[in-house]
Amino acid sequence: MKRSHFAAAVAVLMTLVAAACAKKEAPAPPEQSAAPPPAAAPAPAPFNVVSIGLGKSINDDRTIKDAATTFAPHDTIYASVSTAGAAAKTTLKAKWTFGAKDTLVNEESRDIAPTGPSVTEFHVAKPSGWPVGKYKVEISADGTPAGTKEFEVAR
Amino acid sequence: MNWTEGEDKTPDFSDVVSGSSSSAEAPKGEAVTRTYTVVAGDSLSKIAKKIYGDAGRWKEIFEANKDTIKNPDLIHPGQALKIPGA
Repeated sequence: MKRSHFAAAVAVLMTLVAAACAKKEAPAPPEQSAAPPPAAAPAPAPFNVVSIGLGKSINDDRTIKDAATTFAPHDTIYASVSTAGAAAKTTLKAKWTFGAKDTLVNEESRDIAPTGPSVTEFHVAKPSGWPVGKYKVEISADGTPAGTKEFEVAR
Repeated sequence: MNWTEGEDKTPDFSDVVSGSSSSAEAPKGEAVTRTYTVVAGDSLSKIAKKIYGDAGRWKEIFEANKDTIKNPDLIHPGQALKIPGA
């Protein structure tokens, strides 16, 4: 009887030790956070030219009001450049040329720091009248061509 | 203007008036910066007249471009000029 009591006591002791060890080895419950981590702010979209419009007048938001590809000699000609994205500094340039020889009519650039969609307009006029013929305006952003629009001056 | 493409004579675009504006702001710490490229027939006073409407302001353009203009009576087609305060 004593031996069997001893064996039983040992068995109980081993069970308790095993249970204790098992408890220690149990993985800690995952920490519960009060709120899900905040989503990372989306990176601003890179700057790019979306569209170029050409016309005889512009709206208050600098988009083209009166689109045209043929102009009269005394018209003011507008090029409206719609852009998207942000940039700390970008140089938009409009280069206006005439004829097959691409004679320089005017070239003007403007530094901008857009934080989102923006519109930049360039315009040219010639008080003495534009020579009739074919012209084009090339738009570039930081020296990279962004688009060309061709137009004509006719009587 | 009677000039038509195909004639030998190059048309004169020195009286072309230009401008620009943007809904985007100028880069931080910088005034609005415009650059004008000289065309055949231009002079500093002509450019000042075109841009400011006042030929007498040619000195402002000269001062802003002293690094590239040594003689105010000598500018070249294709030369890019900084236009202050435009």
